[in-house]
Amino acid sequence: MLIDVHAHWGPWFFSMEVGPIEVNSELLDRFGIDLQLVSSIEAIVYDAPAGNRALDEQLGVDDRLRGMVVVDPRRLEEARADLTRLAGDVRWVGAKIHSEYSRTPIAAPAMQAAIELTTEFGLPTLVHTWGDTVLDLADVAARVPGARVLAGHMGAAGWPLVPEAAGRSDRIWFEPCWSAPEAGRIRWILDRIGPDRLMFGTDATLIDPSVALGALEAADLTPAEADAVRWGNAVGLFGL
Amino acid sequence: MTDAPPLLDCDILVGHDVTTGRWSRPEKVREVFAATGISGGVVASLRAVHFDVPSGNAEAQEVASGNGWIGCPVLDLRDPLGAEKELERLLAAPERPAAIRLAPAAQAVDPRYPAFGHVVRLVVAAGLPLFVEGDVRVIGPELRGLGARVLFLDTHFYYLGDFVLLARAEPGFHTSTRMLTGPDSLEIVAAEVGAERLVFGGRTPFHETHSVRRRLLSSKLTAAEIAQVGSQSLTKLLEP
Repeated sequence: MLIDVHAHWGPWFFSMEVGPIEVNSELLDRFGIDLQLVSSIEAIVYDAPAGNRALDEQLGVDDRLRGMVVVDPRRLEEARADLTRLAGDVRWVGAKIHSEYSRTPIAAPAMQAAIELTTEFGLPTLVHTWGDTVLDLADVAARVPGARVLAGHMGAAGWPLVPEAAGRSDRIWFEPCWSAPEAGRIRWILDRIGPDRLMFGTDATLIDPSVALGALEAADLTPAEADAVRWGNAVGLFGL
Repeated sequence: MTDAPPLLDCDILVGHDVTTGRWSRPEKVREVFAATGISGGVVASLRAVHFDVPSGNAEAQEVASGNGWIGCPVLDLRDPLGAEKELERLLAAPERPAAIRLAPAAQAVDPRYPAFGHVVRLVVAAGLPLFVEGDVRVIGPELRGLGARVLFLDTHFYYLGDFVLLARAEPGFHTSTRMLTGPDSLEIVAAEVGAERLVFGGRTPFHETHSVRRRLLSSKLTAAEIAQVGSQSLTKLLEP
């Protein structure tokens, strides 16, 4: 079993052709991914409500896809409407906040308000973290009662801060996808925080799943670690 | 994944990565190569990049000789006068260097500075290929119109379009595969300018070489193209 907790649907503005939902399905087939949690690129980079609506129409195309409601911390009333409409739908299993595209630092009050909102709806929230913002996210998790947050990219080059982040809150999980992965991150982190808070993500269709799979391969996981990281932790966090 | 053809890494480093504090030792490189089926490659010294060119280049050559790899001397762009002397020394040695590595970003030398253009022209006049670190969008334009053979080591797939535009006009321009991690990045470069412009590169042992290997072997390139990228492009580039 393999669950991808960090993926997207829709076209990117880079020199690549990954817009159609069939690209997601083809990558799932080719890399043996059983479930994929996707958020709309339109929702992340341009218009959250419109992107969420567009993804809602696409989810039925492939029953291996689950939706992540994109929340723009600058548009919380509209986010509340989206969450009210989608959070009760079993196809939608979490929320997604991109700190950079929404121009909202993780340490800002608006980010905490957004995570309070997604927590009110009972949704785990995937948040883009880069550098030391992985610590900021841990602090938000510690401040918001009941919040469950997943640090997308686990800080990228900030990955050595993951043990400290894990120590600041027991309601933060980590997902390591990165287009430029440094060597040995996953093994190093597992040896320090154990296997219960790390889970597999790809950033597809932006990044090819082979990159994340190669990083797992390098970590030389034990069977118990593999079960936790590849699917078990995702099932537990997202109720899949 | 396809069966692995011979793989050579164009981007091996030994020494101290002063930005992260991590070290590369030859035994670590050998360990990664054993796990990934890479049979060798081109090695440069971080001592030469960050501190002292002659002793660093001697280190790279010693490591190369001891492991059956190919040494790649570095010239210091902060010292163009010293670079003149070092290149003269290298060219007078019994074994001519296979290539020269430049690190403008690590040495904080803007490619528009006189030193960069001067050193580049010396290397091109010597008939040697350039292995160049840094942002292809910034460095690439400064290397046009010289008839240079260049391997860009840090091309990220976000800027793949810029590389293709440069490579269409410059038959000597090549790119490492390391950060061409989009689902169609390798395939776009191969279709636009040919697989012979793609050179397998892992930045072993600092980058996750397993991911670079998986990306190539699970790509949609033909078996012949994968073999081309895996080792043949580098071998051709290093021909005198």
